[in-house]
Amino acid sequence: MYRRPTRQELTILNRAFNKWGVFDFFKNKSILIKEIKTRNTREIYFLSNEIEKIALSEQPSYAGLMIGELKKNFSLSMQGADLISKVSKQFPYIIVNETAEKSTLYGKNVYSRSIISTSSAINENEVVIILNQKREAIAIGKTRFGESLLLQNDKIAVTTMIDAGLYLRSEGNKR
Amino acid sequence: MKTFVFPNSPTSSILAQQYGYHEWLINRFLQFVPDVKCFLEKMEREPQLYIRVNTLKINTKDLKEKLVSKGFELEDTILDDVLSVKKQIFRAGATTEYLLGYYYIQDLSSCLAVDALDVRESQSVLDMASAPGGKTTYISQKMRNTGILVALETNPRRMRALRFNLQRCGVINTCVLKLDANNAIDLNMQFERVILDAPCSCEGIIAKDKSRKINHRPEDIEFCAARQSTLIETAVKLVKPGGLLVYSTCSFAPEENETIVNLLLEKHDVEIEPIRYGSEGLTSFGVLHFNLKLKNTRRFYPHIHNTLGFYIAKLRVYS
Repeated sequence: MYRRPTRQELTILNRAFNKWGVFDFFKNKSILIKEIKTRNTREIYFLSNEIEKIALSEQPSYAGLMIGELKKNFSLSMQGADLISKVSKQFPYIIVNETAEKSTLYGKNVYSRSIISTSSAINENEVVIILNQKREAIAIGKTRFGESLLLQNDKIAVTTMIDAGLYLRSEGNKR
Repeated sequence: MKTFVFPNSPTSSILAQQYGYHEWLINRFLQFVPDVKCFLEKMEREPQLYIRVNTLKINTKDLKEKLVSKGFELEDTILDDVLSVKKQIFRAGATTEYLLGYYYIQDLSSCLAVDALDVRESQSVLDMASAPGGKTTYISQKMRNTGILVALETNPRRMRALRFNLQRCGVINTCVLKLDANNAIDLNMQFERVILDAPCSCEGIIAKDKSRKINHRPEDIEFCAARQSTLIETAVKLVKPGGLLVYSTCSFAPEENETIVNLLLEKHDVEIEPIRYGSEGLTSFGVLHFNLKLKNTRRFYPHIHNTLGFYIAKLRVYS
């Protein structure tokens, strides 16, 4: 069911939007929540202002762009990452080379040697957007090291959590 | 209405044998398809691949540069945001650009149906048969992600594909309702634009699915025509007075195309508006004679237009 976020949910979302540098972007924009009881989660949708009314009155199967999920905290979806990579000036990211771009789109983890650069002050276990060399969001991952070690070890540096190729792989496996 | 089946002839017999079709189908093509031999020859080849640039995310020039740098060869088409793929190094559905939603693999004819809908920003639009989302995402892009786009779908598997494509293309102005298009009247809404890409016998995609040469039966056309007739009756009631209804199918069968539109003209205050591209609609078929305005509807033939087989009618609805 689509509904407006509660005050508590808005606080969590605003904190997350601030972290990803999109707080201003989402000001006065329509954000709705869809409860997914079977997965015990809440999906966060960004909608055009006109479609918000219809989503609330008609309770569609699906409306707008799913930018992330809310359990205890907010977690980004690929579309959320894509949006952030385009509108945000400051967010945690790593940029990977072409070889890693291909493997990441198959869900593989990122090795240190594949990382070309990163945003500043990245911590261990931090969620980052994985960008290709054209600064396009191809995946979301979690760092295994802090900034100082991220580029130095020849080890897996970032665990890929979700990537832009996930849906096609999962549909392919169902056939 | 019964599907028209014509008597066999030496020509139909030879062509059916040569190209592996049921003869009844060849006989029908001989009634209305220009240069049937050339048509059948074209249907043996892989259809031309087209991609539609998703201008919600990238412009045509930038996408061209990206794909050309990866070894693709692309050519412009009659539509600014549709490109013809002349060479692909790897599958067009497996590039980073595809996954990022920069383009949609979509036949030019299908894009022309959306072009005919003449959508503008902030309008209200209904897509009555939306999955997998080619037309829906194109409409959204033409609306620049504003206004209201309602899409209907009931099949869960197709709904997943639709959702993936809407997400991939960055669409925020669309809501998908799990509602049978036949019951769309239950929405209690009217729209400035309605598109009905009706479920059909899919004769137009024989080039993609050769099994249809022999799996296709006259009863399929009857079944589809009956359903289309009901759907278009619903569709016309959902258009605001003065609004547009685009009816399309990927079938060559006149029973699924001109006959359906002709019936609508007889019953409603509807005008057919011209469409820029394609061959004229039929004004007769077998013993049937249609309103001469049916010429303004459009047929797309693979050997003439280098598209899949398609039919489009653009209808202005007055009441």
